[in-house]
Parts: sequence; C-alpha cells; structure tokens
Amino acid sequence: MKPLMLTLLVALWLPAAAQAQCFAEYKAKQDNPLRLHYGILLLDSASCPGPAAATRAVTRRLAGTGWTLLNIVGLSEARPTDKQKANAGEYYLRF
Amino acid sequence: MQVSTISVSDSRRSGNRIVVAGIIAIVVILIAAGALLMLTLPDANAFNARVERIFVENDALTGQTDIKLLEILAQSGTAFGDTLTSYRMVIFVLLVFSAAMLVAALVFLVMLVTMNRRMAQIERSGIEVSSLIISREENTVYLNTMGFKLTEAMIETLAVLAEARMDDDILTGAQIEAVISGRHESDCEEAAGATRIKRLRDGLGNQLVSELLVRNIARRGYVLAIDKGVIEVV
Repeated sequence: MKPLMLTLLVALWLPAAAQAQCFAEYKAKQDNPLRLHYGILLLDSASCPGPAAATRAVTRRLAGTGWTLLNIVGLSEARPTDKQKANAGEYYLRF
Repeated sequence: MQVSTISVSDSRRSGNRIVVAGIIAIVVILIAAGALLMLTLPDANAFNARVERIFVENDALTGQTDIKLLEILAQSGTAFGDTLTSYRMVIFVLLVFSAAMLVAALVFLVMLVTMNRRMAQIERSGIEVSSLIISREENTVYLNTMGFKLTEAMIETLAVLAEARMDDDILTGAQIEAVISGRHESDCEEAAGATRIKRLRDGLGNQLVSELLVRNIARRGYVLAIDKGVIEVV
C-alpha cells in the first residue's frame, strides 16, 4: 500500500514541478512626465532566480518598451493572488 | 614735457578709473548673486525624484489608485517647478534692473565728486578758459565767448604758443623768435622772443593774462596755461 501511495504522490508532484514557474512583481517608471506602474510578469526560468539575476531578467524584458525598472518587489512560484492581479491591472503579464 | 599745473582732465581721468572699478565690482557681485540663485534653486526634476523614491521605498504602494495619486503628485510638483523657473526669470530681470540702477548711481556719485572738485578749482583760478579759438583771418582770439582783436604779429606768437602747448612743449624766447622769423635758433635772441610775448600780453591785458594764459616758467620758457583740449585754430 505504501509504495502505491508514494508513486501516487510522486506522480502528482512531478507535473507540478515540471510546470514550476516564477512570477516577478516589479515597479517601473517613465520620465517626462513621470508615470509609474506596478506589474507582474512571468520569468522564463523554471524556478525563481536570485534577486540580482531577476533584476537583470526583468530589465531585459522591459527594454524597448519605454519603461525603466525601479525595483523588484517580490518573486514567487505561486500564482499571484487576485488582489495582486487587480493591482497590476493591465500590466499583469503584459511584458 | 609735463607741466606742473593741475589739469581738470587729470582728476576726471582718475574719476573715470574709480567709476570703471566700481562698475566692475558691481557686475562681479551681481554675477555671483545670479550664480548663487541658479545653483541653489531646486530643479524641476527634484519633485519627480522624490515621488519616485516614495514609490520605490513603500512596497505597499501598489494599488492603481495609489499609483495614480503619486503620478498626480509628481505632475503638480513639476508644475510648481515651472513656476519656480518663471520666478527665476523675474528675479533675474530685477537683478539686471538693480544692476543698472547701481551703476547709474555710482556714475552720478562720481560725477558729483568730479564736478565739486572742478567747481573748487574754478573758484580758485577765477577764470576758467574752456575754449581758446584763434582766428587768423580775423586776427582775433576768442577766450570763452570774449573776442580780442590783435595785430598779426601777436596772433602769430599766440599760434606758435598754442601749437607748442598742443605738443606739450615749452618754448624759450629764442625758440619763439626762431619759429616766427624762420631763422635758426642760434641766430635768434632771447630778448626778441620776450618782446613778442610782452606785446602779446600787452594786447590782451598784461598781468591778468600772464597769470591765466601766457605763463612764464623760470629758466624754461613760455607756455599757454590752459588745457590743450580747448585750443582751436581756424
């Protein structure tokens, strides 16, 4: 019985691990006139990188959009809450 | 050669130096004030930077309304920055005006001092020769507005003295005689020139003129005791 449970558990966990994704919450700005936004984007990497690597990745993603990254608020592998989605608004997964 | 008389134009010249120094000082002070003004006033972007910092430092400020409010705050700050820029212009215009006022005040002050000095000199000397016009055609010399009829020989002597004065020269009697008669100086006698001077003074009114106009400098010769700028020969 026990091995069966274990296989089941592994079978359930594996796809989740394969689908592991990283959501980055960030703040960005535009100059003249000053415009600000809070957004969430999905990083390409399977798991969350360190803060420095995340900053680099988000900067790369925002390059060419006219927005400048201010800071990374947080990284999470869990899907953002509804409140976070609402706050990000049109910038949820936009870039 | 420098004559040992005090010229009015000398004091005017030193006054001019003071004026130039004063004006330079005023301009330097005002430029310093302007630079200080420019450097100390915050630039329009300071407000944006402050709002940006607030946004970055507070992780809770992620709501859309919060962000909108922050943007409005930044915009009003920028508008205030524009107002400051126009204030700066106004202040600069006022600075320029005050500079003009200060310069004008200084110029008038120095002019007043110079005028006073000149007045004192005129009071001392009694008669100020402000124009000496020698008219060869009419054989007349005009001192200020007074015309004096002279003989041809006297006019000749006066013209020679005037020319020498314009060159800052002092002529001895022999030199005067040499210039007028056309002979060499060594062939001329001092007495002959002195006689010409005496006749000229007689024609113009002796003692008064010898003090005011045709002055004798001991062992050096004769010179017109007036500013060379006022001499005119027609």
